[in-house]
Amino acid sequence: MTPRTLINLTDNMSRDLPAFLPELVLCGAIVLMLLFRLFARFDQKHMGWVALVLTVYALIVSIVQWQGGIYDPRPVDVKSLELFSGMLVYDNLTIFLRMFLLAFAVLLIWLCLMTGIPDREDSADFFCLVLGATLGMSIMASANHLLMIFMGVEMASLPSYALAGFLKGRRQSSEAALKYVVYGGGAAGIMLYGISLLAGRFGTGYLPDVAAFMAANPLDPLVLLGTLFVLIGVGFKLAAVPFHFWCPDVFEGASAEVAAFLSVASKGAALAMLARIVLGLGGLAEPQFDPQVWERVAPYLVPVLAVFAAVTVTFGNLAAYTQTNLKRLLAYSTIAHAGFMMLGLATMTRDGVSAVLVYLIVYLFMNLGAFAVVAFLRNVTGSEDMRDFRGLIHRAPVLVVTLAVFLLSLLGLPPLAGFAAKFQIFSALFDAGRNYGSPGVGQPGLSGVMYALLVIGGLNTVLSLFYYLKPLKIMILDKPLEEVEDRPCEPLPIPWLPNLYAGFLAFVILAVGIFWGPLANAGGEAVNRFHAASAETGGVPVARGGQP
Amino acid sequence: MFEDPRILWFIPGLPLLASVVTAFLGPRLLRDKSHWPCVLAVIASCALAIGVFASVSSGFQGLHTSYTWFQTGDVDIGVSLRVDGLTAVMLVTVTFIGSWIAIYSIGYMHGDPGYPRYFAEISLFVFAMTGLVLADNFVLLYAFWEGVGLCSYLLVGYYFAKPSAAAAARKAFLVTRLGDVGLLIGILLIYTALGPSLDYESVMPRGQHASPGVLCAVCLLLFTGAVGKSAQFPLHVWLPDAMEGPSPVSALIHAATMVTAGVYLVARCTPLFGFSPSAQLVVACIGGFTAFLAALIALTQTDLKRVLAYSTISQLGYMFLALGSGTSHEYLAGIAVAAAIFHLFTHAFFKALLFLAAGSVMHAMGGVIDMRRIGGLRKVMPTTHWTFLCGAGALSGFPIIFSGFWSKDEILAVAFKAGQPGSFANSIYILLFLLGLVTAGLTAFYTFRAYFLTFWGPERVPPEAGHHAHESPPVMLVPLMVLAAGAVFAGILLGPTGIFEHFLEVHWMQAAFPRLLPATEHHGNLPLMVASSLFALGGIGLAWWLYVRRPALAREMAQALPGAYELSKNKFYLDEIFAALVVRPLAGLAHFLRVFDQYIVDSFVDLTAHAPRWLGHLLRPVQNGLVQFYALLMVLGLAGFLLSVLMR
Repeated sequence: MTPRTLINLTDNMSRDLPAFLPELVLCGAIVLMLLFRLFARFDQKHMGWVALVLTVYALIVSIVQWQGGIYDPRPVDVKSLELFSGMLVYDNLTIFLRMFLLAFAVLLIWLCLMTGIPDREDSADFFCLVLGATLGMSIMASANHLLMIFMGVEMASLPSYALAGFLKGRRQSSEAALKYVVYGGGAAGIMLYGISLLAGRFGTGYLPDVAAFMAANPLDPLVLLGTLFVLIGVGFKLAAVPFHFWCPDVFEGASAEVAAFLSVASKGAALAMLARIVLGLGGLAEPQFDPQVWERVAPYLVPVLAVFAAVTVTFGNLAAYTQTNLKRLLAYSTIAHAGFMMLGLATMTRDGVSAVLVYLIVYLFMNLGAFAVVAFLRNVTGSEDMRDFRGLIHRAPVLVVTLAVFLLSLLGLPPLAGFAAKFQIFSALFDAGRNYGSPGVGQPGLSGVMYALLVIGGLNTVLSLFYYLKPLKIMILDKPLEEVEDRPCEPLPIPWLPNLYAGFLAFVILAVGIFWGPLANAGGEAVNRFHAASAETGGVPVARGGQP
Repeated sequence: MFEDPRILWFIPGLPLLASVVTAFLGPRLLRDKSHWPCVLAVIASCALAIGVFASVSSGFQGLHTSYTWFQTGDVDIGVSLRVDGLTAVMLVTVTFIGSWIAIYSIGYMHGDPGYPRYFAEISLFVFAMTGLVLADNFVLLYAFWEGVGLCSYLLVGYYFAKPSAAAAARKAFLVTRLGDVGLLIGILLIYTALGPSLDYESVMPRGQHASPGVLCAVCLLLFTGAVGKSAQFPLHVWLPDAMEGPSPVSALIHAATMVTAGVYLVARCTPLFGFSPSAQLVVACIGGFTAFLAALIALTQTDLKRVLAYSTISQLGYMFLALGSGTSHEYLAGIAVAAAIFHLFTHAFFKALLFLAAGSVMHAMGGVIDMRRIGGLRKVMPTTHWTFLCGAGALSGFPIIFSGFWSKDEILAVAFKAGQPGSFANSIYILLFLLGLVTAGLTAFYTFRAYFLTFWGPERVPPEAGHHAHESPPVMLVPLMVLAAGAVFAGILLGPTGIFEHFLEVHWMQAAFPRLLPATEHHGNLPLMVASSLFALGGIGLAWWLYVRRPALAREMAQALPGAYELSKNKFYLDEIFAALVVRPLAGLAHFLRVFDQYIVDSFVDLTAHAPRWLGHLLRPVQNGLVQFYALLMVLGLAGFLLSVLMR
């Protein structure tokens, strides 16, 4: 660190710290929860409340920042700020993803408070891990330097390993954690190797410089290798095929709450990082869209992403067929959904990225909802196997109906939000396909890839139909076990609060499915204000000097 | 206060809210107070509609888009509501009549086990119907179009435990669906031929520049939807059966509002129809023929509500006759549409009144409505009697006093003008005019036949009525009186003065299709008025002669002309013809398809369902739980990616 950067750092501190406030609040929450353990008076309190209150505060700060309120340090015309001498970037995309992560954390902590995992004894540890991982994910989403990417991934991963093994004394849980660590370690090594290749080649890890060098020089194998290795690190977090093997085992071993956390927050952050890399390398993140850069990078990056995405979505859906454990089934479903979102990124257009952002928000609600129902059912029945849930509609009507909403939304049936999300992705693919094929851009090969992805996405939606409907068929159409055995069929003792929680999430899904306009606008704004200067191209690359 | 377009949201919004509230709270909480949300919401809607009407007449044209529902390519489908002169008239008609019918229903449906369900569905209907007339694009129109169809299905099948009611509901739904398919294709064709857009504002002006063939196809497809919904030949067969629903439903949905949606649609699309004379000729022919046919069938029906149902079909035929006569060459579009909408307006009053009065009779007679078993009720039910008489006078077009005379006369005048020598297809229009004139006589005859059979002659009360055959309670009689006043005075106030026509012209037509309007004013045609009066009075006189003066004569005539009588009584065997030509071949096809589906399609579907499962089984060993193996696969995958990137 040269003295110059040091001066920069301290000079801008008063500007950078407010921008970083949500993360600072999370840090404060972690410290506070650990400090409380020192005092006998607070020792026996459930720390979830501390975590909840402070996370809500961080969320509010983020929302205020989104609306350009007092915590937003950006001058009027500046859309994007670099924080801490270029380590992090602060723009609409950052704020959007922070809101996503924090909103999810709030809902998850609320869920944990209801389900009683963790108990009072472990609450401080558990929530420290959750908030710590969230902090790491937030850094992943705003990383502007290769080192910060690595830091973020590791900060998010290490607590996740511990969370996966949190159910102490359960053999499966420990096994899951161990597999996760070994696998994660391998992926981290590969990623670090890629980073060192890139940094060694260009002499810097600062992402805009890396992108500029890549654009200026012909792509040599070293650079391609480095990029690919970094992508593999992201692929591990995303559980993209063939780096997904940890995912089903970990989800089955960990509690449903942790599985929800890993499936939503972790994947969301990884996707965000991938989106940043795609936009950055594709020349889409410059203040001005640079078609030259795009034309140089896209023929390499688009096929890689496309294959990655297509394989992931197809594999996830096929493998889900034979599952009987609900969490395992949902694990494969999350793999498929990660693939689906990668389809959007494979377009390498801003529309694609904004579609993915919309998808992320929708995915948050439907996936969290599905895992929450699993957690509630586990608490009252002690089982996560769908064969034990025959005829459950008679015993837990609200949970089954809301689960139906979540699963049908995951499937993408209108008028639920899942349909809106899938529609955005499909429409981005279609537009990109049409645009790449037009004489102005002249990439007929890429256009073909887009249409192929469109077909694959459609087919996969059909494939997913069967396994999403299977649990519903068992719960709604099959006769309850009690009835077969001639025992009285009594309602499950589910308190009203879990029913309310599931109902709330289902309501959001229905409402977003009908009024998806505001969400789609917010997604577009997160990407387009991010690159305000090139908004007039409509988010799709156009030829040099050509008209859109 | 009514200048803010956001107010428009409350007109359909309040009934929707009432519907939801009644549906959720009705069965447990509100029970026999379930009518309150519905009545209050519809009355509030009516007040708002009148307010909007008033501001429209002072020059306000509102449009409010809440949000873009979806946007794909160049199409931009917004949920947006618009109000202009035509919409304002429709809104006031729907909500005003709806309010009184809702009030009437309190008495009529009293004590019914499905009381909350009834009011929830009525509110839902008012929501859909007001939405239909407020919609600003074809997609939204189609959505509400199906919405009113659904409500009609639910309410016709209200007594779903009764097999005939369930069958009638199914028939109503399926037959109107036939028309709806045409409407949907028409909308798609509009998108491709006149689009790419589905907003009224951008589609309508393109009609005059479209190629005649395409425009004609668009118009005819739209008209198919209207034929289904407004029960025109050959899709009219559902409406008489729909009388299985409660009488207020028949009054609201199957007389005053929903069945006029087709008329509204064609009127709304005048800028398209106006430039396609051949399509208009089809509309006029179907309308005129339906009016005549339905009147013939109505002559011999013995069920009072069925007579009214056929008269509804016949009157709707009149409206289409008017709409089809507005040929562009003669600049008749303005007066033609005005005549049709005016008849729609007056018809809504007097037909709702007639159905409600019939319902009142039915209520008192313990559910019996067969005119062979009741009679001479004018002493038993004095108020019902004189209100029914007002409605019958209006329906038969009794000169000067009653509203039906004025509106029907305008329709005949338009048809007559369209038949002037030298204009397009004038001989056909003259024929249609004569058909309309004869139909006017038939209408007067069958209306008063029903009136005399029910209220005159010796007093006959069926045993189902019990010992307390009595007049209906005031909550049912007050709506009757209000509607009777409307049926009488609406015509004489609005007809000869030309207020109605002027309103539509200034606040709608001049903006929507200025090129179809005449430069000069239109004046009444006195000889025509006299002729139609003579036909009406003749019909009434004949009915009096046959059913009051010489009751035996009618039976003798029926026996003297067995063929004609049976033909009319059996509705020209149209149901049977449909069964033979459409239903049975389709049933055969359906049987074949079932076999095809079971053995060929199903096995294919099974295959698609099984194939992924087999693939899934194939993939299963990969996930064997061994970290070493996972690592191996990961390295292999990595190598694959590296090779694919480096080898290109």
